[in-house]
Amino acid sequence: MSSTGTAPTTKPGQRAGSVLDCSDLVRRFGSRTAVDGIGLTIRLGETYGLLGPNGAGKTTTIRMVCGLLEPGSGTVRVAGRTMHSAAGAAKRLIGYVPQEIALYPDLTARENLRFFGRLYRLPRRRLDRRVDEVLDLIDLAARADDRVDSLSGGMRRRLNIGAGLVHSPTLLVLDEPTVGVDPQSRHAIMTSVRRFGNEGMAVLYTTHYMEEAERLCDRVGIIDHGRLIAEGTPRELVALVAEKDRVELVAAGDLGRFVEQCRNLPGVEGADVGGEAGGTVHAVVRDARSLLPRLLDLTRTCGVQVRSVQVVEPDLETVFLHLTGTALRE
Amino acid sequence: MTAVLAIALKDLRQRLRDRSAWVIVFLAPLLITGLMSLAFSGSATFHAKLAVVDLDHGAAAAGLLDTLRSPQLAGTVTVHPYPDGAAAAEALRHGTQQAAIVVPAGFTAALTGGAPEPVTVLDSVDYPLQARVADAVSGSYVAQVNADRLSVATALAAGSVPQDLPRLAAKASALQLPEQVRADGLPGTALKAVSYFAPSMGMFFVLFTVGFAARGYFAEQRQGTLDRIAAAPVGRGALLLGKSLSTFAYSLAGLATTLVAARFVFGADYADPLGVAALCVAMAVAVVCLTALVIAVARTERQAEQLSSVVVFVLVLLGGNFVFASAGPPILRRLALFTPNGWALRGFTDLGTGVHGLTAVGPPLLGIAACSGAAAAATVLLVRRRRTP
Repeated sequence: MSSTGTAPTTKPGQRAGSVLDCSDLVRRFGSRTAVDGIGLTIRLGETYGLLGPNGAGKTTTIRMVCGLLEPGSGTVRVAGRTMHSAAGAAKRLIGYVPQEIALYPDLTARENLRFFGRLYRLPRRRLDRRVDEVLDLIDLAARADDRVDSLSGGMRRRLNIGAGLVHSPTLLVLDEPTVGVDPQSRHAIMTSVRRFGNEGMAVLYTTHYMEEAERLCDRVGIIDHGRLIAEGTPRELVALVAEKDRVELVAAGDLGRFVEQCRNLPGVEGADVGGEAGGTVHAVVRDARSLLPRLLDLTRTCGVQVRSVQVVEPDLETVFLHLTGTALRE
Repeated sequence: MTAVLAIALKDLRQRLRDRSAWVIVFLAPLLITGLMSLAFSGSATFHAKLAVVDLDHGAAAAGLLDTLRSPQLAGTVTVHPYPDGAAAAEALRHGTQQAAIVVPAGFTAALTGGAPEPVTVLDSVDYPLQARVADAVSGSYVAQVNADRLSVATALAAGSVPQDLPRLAAKASALQLPEQVRADGLPGTALKAVSYFAPSMGMFFVLFTVGFAARGYFAEQRQGTLDRIAAAPVGRGALLLGKSLSTFAYSLAGLATTLVAARFVFGADYADPLGVAALCVAMAVAVVCLTALVIAVARTERQAEQLSSVVVFVLVLLGGNFVFASAGPPILRRLALFTPNGWALRGFTDLGTGVHGLTAVGPPLLGIAACSGAAAAATVLLVRRRRTP
């Protein structure tokens, strides 16, 4: 089954092979700048991950890409069609999957898919065929005629993605599709997204989970405070910190004070508190072996009780910490 | 157009799957109309059973009895003679009679002098209207008799001889003031209660659509489905048109169901079916405009719910949906002209009394259009103001 529509020919203003071209996107809300000059390009068949903490500007960027929000300045082009002057044509190529379950709970799975498909003016026969294909794709054919409010959370998540696929988009935009999802559904969603990319669809995927970005994305853009601070393949990004190590300390006590003092140590490039209960200190350091004794001395000075210490290979988390000085919080 | 229809049909499908919407817009108005129809079933054919006690036995008392038994009052009043006031009062207590007129002894003699005795009307708490009729008829008769007395007295004072008194009295009593009551423009059909209360209740419950539709809009905003629609190649105009179309169709269906059932089940009568249809369409448009206004003013689902409830109750109270507007004070009748339902009820009342065409529905249609236009204009202003940074 092919999930993508006809590959568009190159249009004026479109980079060769690119499906999405954003340049200098700026959006302000009052005095706050949510997105500050973001530019990115996604090619056909590429899965692009926009990685950043909550409030970094990911959703605002996505809303501008999908034509839900007018940029203050900058342009969005989808296969050469600008969202400003050819919004209809540009939107027809995008499949938008919002973070929340944006479905009608009192309609059946099939009725939801048919409704969203009709908005894209699919002819009746083609729509019926596509709805069946998508129901198969998201493994909901057996529950097609059940109301959404009777489906499990995981099924709704899959249907939420399916609703963005009915019209066979060229670019699929997923806004944190795995937030609040159980591990099994998360795995299923990630497998599907990987498949969409393999089948030739361009995918823009926002997340604040490092491992998702590492596993799924061909390229990753790191966004913080509305700016794209780094971009590349996961390997290229990790290479930025190849000479550095990440130290993970699981500890208890005044970790805030410890992190403050830790940042002042020579050889420490960034440190922050993370972890589920806020009990893990992440630090990016040069030469962990020589720095570790001084870090442990500091824990004693600050009255911090260390439960475990681990030196880990550089990964996207290390990159983020290195670039922003803070850990990527959930 | 595909997107407009898709949005409208989706909204209607959701609305029809909501049982409370069925109950409020289709069943409740029928139920209330049925109850109103039962409650007012006797009011369209008014009749008064009057006890008459003649203690005078003179010509003047006989004249009053003749008046009560005249062909003009035959369909409205039935007269039963009683020997005395106590017997008449007993008949009222038992409900055998509904009001009583007691003509005192010496009533005729008072025509030619002496202290006049008053004619007394006895009433029953269960039949106040019948007592009012008895009072009006006897009062009118006494006024005529007094006019006769005055003419005779004037003639005597002007020099007529007492021997002419019987002739003068007979001549005076034969004279009647020329009077005629005619409702201008009305063919004269009496308004049935059900013809008033069916559209009144239909509109009352259809106005709840404002709340359903406004809450639905905010629920879609919360669910994210509104964003999903906006991400599709669907213009803002198509989205609004689709949502308006569903609200319009639902309101129209609710009103039409109530009025068709009222016509064929409860016997409501309107002179002009096209006029009824025009009023229903105009009211459905008004509901759409009011919904848009509530959505423009409210910011959350809860606010929309509260605001729409306020709008519904203010409109029905001012518009006269609970009481006949004509029975209200002048200020209420004037305020009703600021509500679309008040105008519509004027139209339905005219149609219910036999008035046809534009005479009946022209001004109401203009009135409803003005109210809808005002709501739409306020909506546009609010939306523009909200969009301005």
